[in-house]
Amino acid sequence: MISKLLSRVAIVAASVFILTGHSLGLRAQTLTGSGSTFINPAMTKWVDEYKKATGISVNYQSVGSGAGINNLIDGTTDFGGSDAPMNADEKGRAKGPVIHLPAVIGAVCIAYNVEGVQSGLALTGEDISDIFQGKIKYWDDPRLTKNNGGLRLPHEAIFTVHRSDGSGTTAIVTDYLSKVSPEWKSKVGAGKTVTWPEGGLGGKGNSGVAEVLKQHVNSIGYVELAYAVENKITYSRIASSSGGFIYPSVGSANQAAKASNIPEDMCTMITNASTGYPITGMTWLIVYKTSHQPAELKKFLKWVLTKGQHYTQDLYYASIPENMVTREMKLIDAIQ
Amino acid sequence: MTIAESSFRSTGRSRFRRSLSAFMAGLSIAAAIIACVALLSVLVYIVINGIGSISLSTFTEGPVPQGQPGGGLRNGIVGTLILMSIGSVIGLPIGILGGVYQLETNTTFSRTLRFFTDVLNSIPSIVMGLFAYLIVVLPVAAFSPGHAFSAFAGGVALGFLMIPTVMRTTEEILRLVPTTLRDASLALGASRWRTTWSVVLPAARGGIVTGVLLALARIAGETAPLLFTAFGNLDFNVRLDHPIDALPLNIFNYATSPYENLHHLALAGAIILLAIILILSLAARYALRGQTME
Repeated sequence: MISKLLSRVAIVAASVFILTGHSLGLRAQTLTGSGSTFINPAMTKWVDEYKKATGISVNYQSVGSGAGINNLIDGTTDFGGSDAPMNADEKGRAKGPVIHLPAVIGAVCIAYNVEGVQSGLALTGEDISDIFQGKIKYWDDPRLTKNNGGLRLPHEAIFTVHRSDGSGTTAIVTDYLSKVSPEWKSKVGAGKTVTWPEGGLGGKGNSGVAEVLKQHVNSIGYVELAYAVENKITYSRIASSSGGFIYPSVGSANQAAKASNIPEDMCTMITNASTGYPITGMTWLIVYKTSHQPAELKKFLKWVLTKGQHYTQDLYYASIPENMVTREMKLIDAIQ
Repeated sequence: MTIAESSFRSTGRSRFRRSLSAFMAGLSIAAAIIACVALLSVLVYIVINGIGSISLSTFTEGPVPQGQPGGGLRNGIVGTLILMSIGSVIGLPIGILGGVYQLETNTTFSRTLRFFTDVLNSIPSIVMGLFAYLIVVLPVAAFSPGHAFSAFAGGVALGFLMIPTVMRTTEEILRLVPTTLRDASLALGASRWRTTWSVVLPAARGGIVTGVLLALARIAGETAPLLFTAFGNLDFNVRLDHPIDALPLNIFNYATSPYENLHHLALAGAIILLAIILILSLAARYALRGQTME
């Protein structure tokens, strides 16, 4: 009796909740997105400025690129943020065709903690590949001192740090190493997680790696530019395929994007570009071609690619090159 | 020297036993000290590093864009309190009534139920989050894509997390109520439900509240089940059908951000979370002062 009554009350309460929620709550908050943690600082800034400019609320939560894509597939969000494009399996599970829109460009630093050595240690792609494979074991290895004429490096063992969690940052670094070192490509490969040949220590997230680097002298690892700068970790210059060693910066990352050949669907890795900083990546906003509220979505996406780009450089992102913005605008216009 | 004394002293065997006993006692004390030191050092670390970051604005301001100074935890504090309330509304009646049922009946069904309660107790909280995602978030997403996350969904996940804890502690506490009390009530002609409601439950009130507090303390710090249910919100929200912020989500986001001021805000959030749990327990103790059956 009582249990029957209770379950009836529960059903009524649930339906009342869903009905009122459906009719009342629908339009108060217009857009919801989730995904990449890398884009989160830019996104929180955009959300704030966009609300000031238009009065429209956007809610973005940094749950990770993979989870962001799954939310979009389930239809629980309006857009996803991801450091890697959707793969074939994810596209197959999606409720319809999607478009990828690069929204920020970022540089990944090869960061280190060696006593007495400032930022700017010159490294080639082969050097980094061999350090992470355990072939270059000591900081004063002739191959490292050769490109850093006059710099005194200690005879201390190199201690490598990498991401323990699946990460777009790892995907960018390993994609770069696969392009510059055939040996890396055949033995390790590229991806969000790889088997690190030398072992080394893992850190969770950019902040985890930054923490390990700060605490262990003679360590080397990779973090996004913002984390290196904010945590005052020293980082290296990287050899460009067109010669010379290049510092990671918003300018050099922007150059790399300009020099890259971006395909029609905007899905490509822009590492090892002919000019600019070689270890550079993009974060995409992913949306369905058919949206249930296309007007709001298009307005926000267009704002992100125009006015929104002015705010990102202070947060250590490179802005999207003009020619890419023009092409992305066309893609946005096609949203229905 | 009596026979008794000689048998307890100076033989090699008894000396060995005594030293073994002392050694084991020493190990136990060391383990207890290690546990306390670990707990205390976490508390001291959080308080020392975070107390300086707590100010009035921590309670009155919402989040600011990352990389900018300032910002507060208002959204998260209010959100966590709301989520705990929804969780309690769902979890407490089911948990307490279920506990009563499991004690008062002893059938195969109730024993099976108890087994499942124990299994439920050991389920990782993220699974409960996925459960709420499946039964609340996804059906709503089918109706209105992009507006599926809600405080209600988060509360459902937390409520279900509370149920097994509350159920088991309720049952264990009710078991401690003397049978004579129950018999006396029944002998006076009270029906079974009247006996349970007016005699057994009040006698066990203190213990049940302790169990409820344990369950609340457990859910207050949960992050994983909220990621895909309550979701978090950059705006201030008290509506149950909208996404809502929560302190554990803030702590997780801010601690992993690049910015120093957000790291401090994360520590401030941890202190506030501890304080909420502490205040709750103190308030409950105060309300129940003089009551028996802890």
